[in-house]
This record gives sequence, structure tokens and C-alpha cells, in this order.
Amino acid sequence: MVSVAFINPLSDEGEIIVRELGDFGRVLSDNDDLMQIVTGSRSQEISNDSFIPRNYVDLAIKRIEWFVKKKNDRNFDNNQYDFLFNTEILKFDVIAFYLLCQAVGVKYGPNSRESRVMVESQGKLIEYRLEKLSKNVREEVVTNILNSLISSTHIKWTFFEDLISTKKLKLQDLILDQGEIVLDKDDFLERFSHKIHGRKPEKMYEALIGDRIKELVMIKMVMQNTENYILKVGEKSDREIEPNPILLELADKISDVLAASVRSYGIGGSYRGNVKASALNPKAFPPCVKKVMEGMKSGGRNDAIIMFLTPFISYARLYPSVFSENITKQISDIDPSLSIVQNEVLPLIFEAAERCTPPLFEDQPQDKVNLNAKLGFGMHQDPDLKNEGETIWYTPMSCEKVKIHLPSLCKPDENCKKIGNPLSYYNMMIWKVRKEAKTESTTDNKE
Amino acid sequence: MIKIEYLTPASPEERKRYYREEWDIKQVPDFIAHSIQEREFGFDHVGRGPNDRYKVFRNPDLLKRFLKVRTPFAAYCSVAFYDKPRRRDKWTKAELVFDVDAKDIPIRTCECEGVCEICLNEAREIVCGIIDTLKEDLGLKNIHIVYSGRGYHVRVLDDDVTHVNSDVRSQIVKYIVGAEVPENEYSLDYEKVSYEHFVIPFGYPNVFTERVKYSILHLNEHSNLDEVNKKLLKDVLKYRPLIEDNNWGMFKNKIGPLRYKKVVNGIASMNMSLVDAKVSIDLKRILRLPSSLHSMVSMKCTEVKNIETFDPFKEAVPKFVYERK
Repeated sequence: MVSVAFINPLSDEGEIIVRELGDFGRVLSDNDDLMQIVTGSRSQEISNDSFIPRNYVDLAIKRIEWFVKKKNDRNFDNNQYDFLFNTEILKFDVIAFYLLCQAVGVKYGPNSRESRVMVESQGKLIEYRLEKLSKNVREEVVTNILNSLISSTHIKWTFFEDLISTKKLKLQDLILDQGEIVLDKDDFLERFSHKIHGRKPEKMYEALIGDRIKELVMIKMVMQNTENYILKVGEKSDREIEPNPILLELADKISDVLAASVRSYGIGGSYRGNVKASALNPKAFPPCVKKVMEGMKSGGRNDAIIMFLTPFISYARLYPSVFSENITKQISDIDPSLSIVQNEVLPLIFEAAERCTPPLFEDQPQDKVNLNAKLGFGMHQDPDLKNEGETIWYTPMSCEKVKIHLPSLCKPDENCKKIGNPLSYYNMMIWKVRKEAKTESTTDNKE
Repeated sequence: MIKIEYLTPASPEERKRYYREEWDIKQVPDFIAHSIQEREFGFDHVGRGPNDRYKVFRNPDLLKRFLKVRTPFAAYCSVAFYDKPRRRDKWTKAELVFDVDAKDIPIRTCECEGVCEICLNEAREIVCGIIDTLKEDLGLKNIHIVYSGRGYHVRVLDDDVTHVNSDVRSQIVKYIVGAEVPENEYSLDYEKVSYEHFVIPFGYPNVFTERVKYSILHLNEHSNLDEVNKKLLKDVLKYRPLIEDNNWGMFKNKIGPLRYKKVVNGIASMNMSLVDAKVSIDLKRILRLPSSLHSMVSMKCTEVKNIETFDPFKEAVPKFVYERK
């Protein structure tokens, strides 16, 4: 039987393992037992010493490295990390998990890229670990963990509020009835058998809920608990005078792994890391932006021009890498004289406003002030450096927000499937356009 | 029943008459009157939007005096509850709200410019669907319906949802309106099974089926659905009696599976406009005060006791309108 701590390090068993560690300083010492388990793992690649974690901290880094490389590296070799799926590594793995959470919590807090990667990596690790188990063992482990996480047999959907809020679970993924989530087979049959016609209720249960949804719920709950634990560590460390230097050092190493991945693969793909500010190319605009550029009818004009288009155009022109760099800037950091704003950004927005029916600024001239505010120049008629910072420079709306605020704008094309923000669409298309141009010019040169 | 052409804007004199002679503080529903000191009020005195905000009333009598003296163009109160409503400070909770405005619903059979009996009734039908889902799927019970003057507000006060954040509310909206096409292929151990949404009589697939059914039965030859061309729309209209009888499988066969997919995709993307989602995710929104006058259309914003039988042209028309004839 696999220990539940192998899947859920935050379980009681996991906590016992942590308590048994003893001297914290040991986490940096070479550990023969660990190395023996790693090298003894069935498919483990041992041709290079760097594949073998020597101590707890090394193992922690390997966990993150595995996730980042698996996600981004086309030549990824899982055999270099086979030890992560060897159940004998349990005690070391649990300690590595806690080290990672604490390092991230202490140095970066819960709302950081490092935290997100840690939480996602734990989710992926669970998925792959479960896949390697036999069906019966897998079912047993999942049931045991779920039972420990959910005490009642009647689970209100609001019990998963955190998971729903952070979009780890979608309400649509769950079968809801009278405010409760249906997970248990007998419960399902009791509630719905009489309504199902021409299909076998048991089979329908297996398809719609079964192990799939149980595992999904369990994995997402462990991920949420991991996030909550990082938050708790972060809050606790705010009250402490000096964090442990080993954790700080580990935190730096995690950051190095992520930075190396950005250098090698870009964040989440191969194009976003390199986007530089340059003249706008309207051909690369996503369908929603193109629609607003054509002008809007009365009703949605204000939100479309002020809330949606203004941040999009300004960031696309001045700071297209805002989401990958994740550093807050003001417009003057990029355009000190505001000449680009005056000559390239505002004219495009005004053109779109003019094409509205009726033209936006004709019957609502006060909206110029709102436009200015969204660029960070306060509630004034025109952008002026002396007012910059009175309001914040609004970042472009995500696709999710567009669907809520301006549902009529969202007419996705094929490229929209891969992105979550219209600005990412623009960056992707710009990258594609440049790549194509480069290929063409290379071909021309050859000719 | 009053005719829609009589529902022109109310004059300042008519507003005065309404608040001084017809309106009664007892018409303010208990769910607001009992929490009056925790809510922010806002007023529009001249018809240019609610500029007079951050108003607070310690008890219903003070609200009564204000309305009778100031006879505003429009009156609003917050869906949010605050410890210090005067500064909108210390937010404690907010009603979960769905705003169905008859003039903004995506499929209207009437094609009128503003609102009329037909689209108001369609808004009412949408509200009935929303309420069913809130009760049957989400298990919510403390639900109030308000006729706003041009549509309906569904206001939910169950403790389970009043504290949830905008992200959860946004997911609730998507579930309630059927904004995503449910999966139709599921993997079992050794096989894949296919269940279209219409063979699953519970959960989200069932909600989606209900919304698709509503939409298809309300389409007309001028309707506009993403990716659905005139020919396909014509076929949908031709075969939709099958859906009326819940013969979904046959409908899908007649239309063709790929074209059916286009139809449901188009309806899913349109469904987000069934309600004004901005209102649902706003934790500090102010909504028209039930019992107050919608001066633009001369109708009473009024709590609906029975949505199945509610007729705004009988129950929400102030007396002064009848005297205009």
C-alpha cells in the first residue's frame, strides 16, 4: 500500500515524517540513503552525477526542475527524474515538499510566480504518481485522502469555494443537486436513477463522476491546501525577525530554475520572453480588439473604449511584456516625453471612439478624463507628466473579464484557444509575423 | 391592462404625486427594510444617473421622509452590507444578483426599440429558468425577485453566497446561464462513451439543455448566432418542433451532428448576455430600490411575489399613469 503522504504531503502521515526529521541542518548534508534510492529506481538515468540529488535541498530543486522541463522542454527525458515516482523516496520527498513551500512562503509569498509553480508542480506530480499505481491501489489511495479531506458525506458546493474562486475547479465540472456535490455512487443512483432513461445509470456515473472527478477534486484540494500552507508560512514569516538562511538560499535556487527556464523556453511558451515595445501592427490585433476598432454601438461604447481598448493599445505599444516581466511600470518609464502616447496611442483610441454610434466623446466628453485615468494620469483632461501616478495604468482585461464585461466582443478565432489575454494574442501574432518575415528574407537572400 | 404607449417619462409633478400619495414605506421589502442601516443608498434627482451617493438611513422612517420630501427621479440601494455604509467601509457581505434587462436579452422575438410586453415576458421566462437552477442545483432558498421597470433583478440572500468573492460569482453566472458547452465524450477504463448534454437529466448538462431549448424556441429568421449561417438557421427553425417535444436526438440528426455543434456553440457564446454579468460580480453595486419609481418609463420597481403569474402591466403601473389617458 502506498502511503497517502506520497500523494498528499500535508496529511497526518506527512506531518509525522516532518517531525521525525530532527536537526534542520541535515537538509544540506549528503544523504547516502537518498542517493541509494535514487540510483536504485528502476528506469533512473545515472550516466551523469547531476541527475542524482545528493540531499533534501537538491531533491526539492529536482521537483521544480522536473515540472518546468516537462512542461517546456521538447527533449525532456523522464528517466532523469524517475526517482520522483519511486515510493521508497517517500520520507525524503515529503521533507523536500515542506522545504519548497517554506522557502517560497518566506521569500516570495503566495501571490508569486514561484508559489504558482510550486502549487502546479505538486498537482502534476500527483497526477503522474497516480498513473503509475494499479487501478485498485489508486482508487484506495484517492478514497482515503478524500475521506480525510472531506469529513461529511453531504458536501455543499460552497465547501469548494476556494477551489472555485481560484479556478482550480469549475462549477460545471461537478454534478450539483440541491446545493450538494454528488461524488458517491450510491448517492448518485439514489438521486438520479429514476430520471435516466435509455442509458445505464451505473455507466453514466462512471463517465460523469467516477474516479475521474474524485481524483480531480482530490488533486485540486491538495493544491489548494499547498497554496494555503504557503500563505500561512508567508504570514508567519512576516512576524519573524530573520528567516532561516537555508530556506532563503533554496528560494533563490527555485528562482534560478525559473529564470533559466525563461531564458531557454520563454514563459509558458517560446514567444513571450522576447517581446519588445515597437510600433503597433493592427493586423496582429485579436478579433475583440478589431471589433472595437470598427466602432461600437450605444450601450457598450464606454466600457469597450475606456476599460478595454485603452489599456490594450497602450500596453501593446509600450509594454507588451507586462505579464511575463510582472513589474509594475508607469508610462513615462517607457515613453518619457509622452510622444508615443500622443502620436501613436491616443490617435488610435480616438479613431475607435469616433467610429462609435454615436461617437463616444461627442455626447460623453467627460469620458476623456476616464481614458486619461486608465493611462495613469489621474482625473484630468489630457495626459500630463505632473499628474502621472494619481491613478494606476490599467493592465489589459483578460479574456475571462472580456466575456463578463463585454460578452458581445468575444468572437474567438483559432489562435484564441491558446491564450488567456488579448495582449498575449497580440504578442503571439507579432512573433509569428516576425518569424515569417525572417524566413522570407532568408529565402530571398538564398535566391 | 395599461398600454405601453402610456409609459412615457414621469413629470416632476407626477413623481411628487407618486411619493406623497401612492408610495408607502411598507412597500420596501423586508429584506431591505431590516438591514437598512447597513446599506448605502443613492439617488438620481434630475435624471442623469445616481450622483447623490453614500446616503445612509438609520431607520425606515428617515428613508420615508427623504423620499416624500425629495421625490427623486430614481432611488437605489446597495446590494452590499457595510459596518460603515456612509464611507462604503468595512464591507461585510453582498447579495448575489442577476440582472435581466428586457432590452438587452440576446434573443427577442419582438424586435421593439425599447421594451414591450413581449420582451418583458421573455425576460420573465429567463428569470424563471435562473431561479430553478439556483434552487435545484445550487440549493439556494432565500431568493427575491424584483421587477426593475425594464426587466428583473434576482436577489439572493442565502448566507452560503453573500460572502463569496467576484471570481466565485462569475463562475456561478457561467453555470446559471449555460455559457459553456458541456463535454460530450467521457473516458472509461477501456472505452470512450458519448453523452450529449440532452441525455443527461441533471447537473450542468441539464441546465445547458434548458437554456439551449429556450434559445432555439425563441429564434426567428432574423436572429444572429455566431457561425450559424442563414441556411442552418432556417433548418433549425424548421425542425425545432422536435425540441418542443424533447426529441433532441432526432433534431440533431435532422440538422447533422457538425451543424448541431455549431448551433450549440453559438448559443453558449450568446448566453453570457442573458444577464448583465457586470452586475453579478460587482460587490458594491447599487440597484433600483424596490417600491421606488422608474421615472423614465413611469413604472414601479416592485418586489414580485409570484413570478409565474406576474404581469408588470397590471402590478407595476402607478396610479397617475391611468389618469394620463
